[in-house]
Amino acid sequence: MFKSIMEWVDARLPVSDLIKSQATEYPTPKNLNYWWNFGSLALFVLIVMLATGLFLAMHYKPDANLAFDSVEHIMRDVNFGWLLRYLHANGATFFFVCVYIHILRGMYYGSHRSPREILWWFGVIIFFALMGTAFMGYVLPWGQMSYWGAAVITNLVSAIPVVGEELVVWILGGFSVGDPTLNRFFVLHFLFPFVVFGLVILHMWALHAVHSNNPDGIDVHEGKDTLPFHPYYTIKDLYGVGVFLMVYLAFVFFAPNFFLEPDNYIPADPMKTPAHIVPEWYFLPFYAILRSIDFLGSFSKLAGVVAMGGAIAILFILPWLDRSPVRSFRYRPLSRQLFWVFVLDCFVLGWVGYNPADATLFDGALPLIVIGRTATAVYFSYFVGLWLVTVLKIEKPKPLPKSI
Amino acid sequence: MDLMKGTIKVAALLVLLLPQWGQASGGAALPVQEWGFKGIFGKFDEAALKRGAKVAVGVCMNCHSLKYIKFDQMRAFGLPEAEIEAMAKDSGRSRKDRMLSVMDAVSAKETYGIEPPDLSLMTKARKGYEDYAYGILTGYLTDQESADIKKAMEDGKLSETERMEVAHVLHMDPRHEDKLKEAITKLEGGGNFNKYFPGHFLAMPQPMQDGAVEYGDGTKASLEQLSRDVVTFLAWAAEPTAEQRKGMGIGVMIYLLVFTAMLYAVKRRIWAKVH
Amino acid sequence: MAIEAEENRRDFLILATSVVGLGGVAGAAWPFIRSWSPSADVLAQATTEVDISALQEGQMITVPWQGKPVFVLKRTAEQIASAREGDKVKLPDPNPPSKDAERVKRPEYLVVLAVCSHLGCVPQPIGTGDFGGFLCPCHGSHYDTSGRIRQGPAPANLTVPDYDFKDDGNTLVIGKAVG
Repeated sequence: MFKSIMEWVDARLPVSDLIKSQATEYPTPKNLNYWWNFGSLALFVLIVMLATGLFLAMHYKPDANLAFDSVEHIMRDVNFGWLLRYLHANGATFFFVCVYIHILRGMYYGSHRSPREILWWFGVIIFFALMGTAFMGYVLPWGQMSYWGAAVITNLVSAIPVVGEELVVWILGGFSVGDPTLNRFFVLHFLFPFVVFGLVILHMWALHAVHSNNPDGIDVHEGKDTLPFHPYYTIKDLYGVGVFLMVYLAFVFFAPNFFLEPDNYIPADPMKTPAHIVPEWYFLPFYAILRSIDFLGSFSKLAGVVAMGGAIAILFILPWLDRSPVRSFRYRPLSRQLFWVFVLDCFVLGWVGYNPADATLFDGALPLIVIGRTATAVYFSYFVGLWLVTVLKIEKPKPLPKSI
Repeated sequence: MDLMKGTIKVAALLVLLLPQWGQASGGAALPVQEWGFKGIFGKFDEAALKRGAKVAVGVCMNCHSLKYIKFDQMRAFGLPEAEIEAMAKDSGRSRKDRMLSVMDAVSAKETYGIEPPDLSLMTKARKGYEDYAYGILTGYLTDQESADIKKAMEDGKLSETERMEVAHVLHMDPRHEDKLKEAITKLEGGGNFNKYFPGHFLAMPQPMQDGAVEYGDGTKASLEQLSRDVVTFLAWAAEPTAEQRKGMGIGVMIYLLVFTAMLYAVKRRIWAKVH
Repeated sequence: MAIEAEENRRDFLILATSVVGLGGVAGAAWPFIRSWSPSADVLAQATTEVDISALQEGQMITVPWQGKPVFVLKRTAEQIASAREGDKVKLPDPNPPSKDAERVKRPEYLVVLAVCSHLGCVPQPIGTGDFGGFLCPCHGSHYDTSGRIRQGPAPANLTVPDYDFKDDGNTLVIGKAVG
């Protein structure tokens, strides 16, 4: 019965072929390690976010006078509303955890290198879209951090010469963050994930066109070096989901406010800025880069915004900055060291971004801004350094294995 | 496992290097309390909640509201309907009404200069959470402390030892004499000094002292006890679903532990053919 | 495919894991489904309290209950007599409660849901229809002073909601508390 239905469908739309070639029998390198789980985990979180977001939107009210109350209504009155909201709020955090690990894994094993540049580009575009989505979502609870985060970030646009000021007014739909801003951010926050979903399909299409990279970074021989995706990687990804859920849900059920700022439980007040505005943790390194450019006088603001945007945009040209004939850092000792300096530097930037702009260390002897500037320089140096050690052939790669 | 090794090294380094993530508040370090309702297995003490509700209605709600809570909801921790009805009547409302302050916002603003903040989310909305609320309630100067400061300032000057003493009482940095003196001047001008409030001066005068509320259950209504109880009540009010959440969480975690172990076993079996 | 499925079926571990996993998915769906049920604040509206101490004989008020209109009528002796008269005839809807004594808790108060059993219109106030009762303007259904259908297309009598009197009959509580 089932077979004949499938035959009927396949004669008209070759579904079975697609499933076979792109999913069940899709050849996957057999030596992928657990770092390769984070792609499927990110997709899993995206689905969780879509589902919880959809159901939250059925109770939420995008109105400056009602938004805060409606979130508390969800938390207190709606059946399991607290679960939906905490899944969604913590989901944002774990989305970025997965995405950051996924990006760094790609950078380490050379997954962005030829012929996977377009695959990488879609990834960077998805990352941009996620940051926009997360930012607008954070505005919706209409607490103090929502409000002032929105005020600060939209103000960045005013750094654009000539039209900046007017552009901000246009984006806000007013002279300050207000009801029109909240309403449009809600609509965009609802729309964007579907755009992201479309981009993910393009990302996967690009992946399936060139196939997965692997920890050795060498080209694989189909058959000898590969396994059918099902059941080998379906079960491995599912196991990954199980482990991931234990960490994610432990926060949701036992420490749901760990990643949230207490100030966001105070309703938005346009007349009073909180003493210390911090973005969500996943924006902190970029926020630190933004603030670290303060030595250019009247150009500082624009330069800071450009530096912050550039910190992500530079990922677009990363496939061409790395000139080494070897993809994987497993066989590149010098690049590996640069990589770890870069990772550490991101944490330092995050820590600087978390602290107030005028904070100091050692009783005022070391202003944090100095650390911020240094860390910003280190951040960009990674990309320049990688280019230098490879273009000048300073690095001597270790011999590559013949096959995996 | 090369990337794994590096990750472990970096993680270890971060744990060592990153000191406490900056503490940006003008108040002193909060007195950290043991709260039985916190933690995975934490449960609210119903007796404390009942006492705390009495304090909240009898003291706090003269000026503050708990707008996300209705009187009737207090049945959740076993408060009898008649008692709830009486509490509501006392503040001129009925059992099904929201717990709004007796004083309206406009006259409160006239009296205190600011609108008293709603308390339904207070224990979630400040750094330090429950400890902060407890710190504020117990952080006003005692009569003895006020007298000590007055005595130290008798001659208009602060000697070295006096400065240390005063700074200790006020929970301020003894190295900044000017700030100390400024605080004392404000204090003598009738400012509301609090050891734990960021900036130390707040609009709210000391809301209660020993015996502010008559407990029916024989518990001694010391300031510390009153504060503990009302903070417990506020913690409940901030998230009445917290116990449901934690209870469900334990079930979910047990399920995940079993399910993930099974997935791992299946994974091992399937991959056995490869390795 | 079929051979693979055969293999799976034999492998108890995979079967057990699948069952446990599907159970988990079903469990995860539950909070989403439940989030559509009436929320706590809506459930708090399950009952409506009406002060009826000032209601005069022959006077009728319409009160909202769970978002629907309810007629509360303090009947005159005549209206009560007319309703009891109706017990003797053959009714279009004889399903209980159809005797007037079954439809009221106190003879002087009639409490019915003002939703016509035909197509959901709200009937007009007392005295508008034949039989001294309510006329539904949409399709001309006539209800008597006990809220029973007597003439017209409506198939059933007006529903009597759960209700009770308290405070010595001065307050009418419509509906049953939920949760």
